[in-house]
Amino acid sequence: MPIYAPTLPPAPDLTQGHPPVLVLMRFDLARLWRQKIGRFFGFAFLLVLIVKLAVIYVKYLLDTNVALRPMQDFARTVLAHGADFQADLLNPTSYLLWFLVALVGGGLVARDTLYRVRPLMYAHPVAPKDYLIAKLGFASALPFAVLLPFVLLPWAMSLGVAGIHGPVWPTAPLRLLPALVLISVLMGALAVGASSMAATPRAGVGWVLGLVLGLSALAGMVHGLTGIRAVDALNPILLAESWPQLFVGVDHPLMGWAPALLGTAFHIGLWTFVAAKRTLPSEAVI
Amino acid sequence: MIAFENLEVRYGATAPPALKGLTLTLDRGIVGLLGPNGAGKSTLLKALLGLLRPSAGGGTVLGIPLGAPEAARLRGRIGYMPEYDALIEDASAYEQVAFWGELSGLAPEAARDRAHEVLYFVGLDEARYRPVSGYSTGMRQRVKLAQALVHSPELVFLDEPTNGLDPDGRRRMLDLVLRVRAELDTGVILASHLLADVERVADQLVILDQGEIKAAGSMAGLRRALARRVELRFLDPLDAAQEAALTELGAVLEARNGLYDLELAETDPLGVFRWAEAKGATLVQLTPRHDRLDEVLLRALHPVRGTGLRPTPPEAPRPDQAEPAPDNAVRGTGLRPTPPEPPRPDQAEPVPGFPSTMGASVREER
Repeated sequence: MPIYAPTLPPAPDLTQGHPPVLVLMRFDLARLWRQKIGRFFGFAFLLVLIVKLAVIYVKYLLDTNVALRPMQDFARTVLAHGADFQADLLNPTSYLLWFLVALVGGGLVARDTLYRVRPLMYAHPVAPKDYLIAKLGFASALPFAVLLPFVLLPWAMSLGVAGIHGPVWPTAPLRLLPALVLISVLMGALAVGASSMAATPRAGVGWVLGLVLGLSALAGMVHGLTGIRAVDALNPILLAESWPQLFVGVDHPLMGWAPALLGTAFHIGLWTFVAAKRTLPSEAVI
Repeated sequence: MIAFENLEVRYGATAPPALKGLTLTLDRGIVGLLGPNGAGKSTLLKALLGLLRPSAGGGTVLGIPLGAPEAARLRGRIGYMPEYDALIEDASAYEQVAFWGELSGLAPEAARDRAHEVLYFVGLDEARYRPVSGYSTGMRQRVKLAQALVHSPELVFLDEPTNGLDPDGRRRMLDLVLRVRAELDTGVILASHLLADVERVADQLVILDQGEIKAAGSMAGLRRALARRVELRFLDPLDAAQEAALTELGAVLEARNGLYDLELAETDPLGVFRWAEAKGATLVQLTPRHDRLDEVLLRALHPVRGTGLRPTPPEAPRPDQAEPAPDNAVRGTGLRPTPPEPPRPDQAEPVPGFPSTMGASVREER
């Protein structure tokens, strides 16, 4: 038998709250926490990060320790150098990151669709653009937050142990952070667009992986048949990998500036448009 | 509280209208929005929330025009309990009510405090930390009510709040609705297809069917009208002059085999005896017709049923009913009276048997 309160006092001031975008993003973060996928991915990314930090220390030792000088030639053949090494600070994690983005981002909009909470959100002072910005923001913040230590920690460690002549350029964050922003927004837009087309979180994961892998395969086939490299701009995995290379200026990037810009703009624009259309109030209530 | 005129809503430009030119004014109170499934109740609520843009006409809710830029701000003053299960299954009742509170504009800490208070108010004090996926239907309905009340709205839309509840659960939910009105001074629009629910809590009634308002008025007026329904039998069949004179008593709803169904103009039945004496008729039976509200609803929804019914003649306002009202609005019922118009050829016949005070209080335009 439920026990009822004698009465309900009036609510406090309604003007003291946070903007709806922030509230929605915080709630998505709480949901992510409940999903308990952090342990696996946390361990996986931590392992990759430890290896990267170890490589930096090894490179430092090879450069400074006389006893290790005989190994330098061998090390040159197995370890990247210069601009390639800087770009690699972001790249080796990309497949794992796409998987994380699919798992988390695939359910961002689809979970609201499944539980039918989006119409109820719109029955509050939440505009469709608030909802879209919150979802895009969260889906983009996730890869950004995961990759940020891969830029800052190696840079800080390199500066700490070897100063400005260490394996990581002192200016590396200035080049890698813009690339990281572009990669994050690309991943976030694709995940939210794919999730908005799904009716369940599981289907959302399938949509994200299907789009990423399907577009990669399509671009690869067309490239193979026609020999036109610019077609690779359709491939979101290659786009994500090419941005660090372009910003640090490697000799032979995966694609040029123009295809990378066009491809990234195409993906962000298309998937944001899809998500915006699929999360309109009229779509939500039918 | 709510007023709309010629309100039309479509799901798509080429789709037929889901709401067909509704015109109505509602006062603060508990308004029962009644109609069969698919009548347009939920569509009307969504239009009033600003979730659906009117394709024609317009209106105001709490003084703010529908579709205006400030409609988002209006939604902070309204609570909405949807018909379907709009619960976040992996979150506890406490977490989600606090979330909806924050989304309404409460500061995080205030929203958490408020979630405790409102869950206690709806009787979910003990279970509030459990994920809602393990809740019974009654508990889920109460979580939905709690999220609608968390920000102390001035007006709350309850869409089928007793869906799926057992009789005891229904009673508790309706008790809560009455408490919301009485203790929180919150206006309530209750959409339901269950007449008994509306009859129990509402003080105004709107009957919708196929996107049109079939009838509207105050429950008190409806009950008053129902109390004046009688069945008369005379010793000898009435002659034509006596039959014609029956209208002096009130509206003749039905005449069959010497039995006459009347809606009396006066609540005092002694007038019937005086009339019979004056007209030389011998009255042998006067039976009050305790029509149930559902019979009235059926008549409103299916006016072609019940052959032999005569349309109710327009009723002259009685002295005890006359109330001063600005702009031809009838206070008490909160509904605008229909100006007397000659019947158009394409106009439907008045609903037979529906109390004329109700029929007159609604103006429906297409």
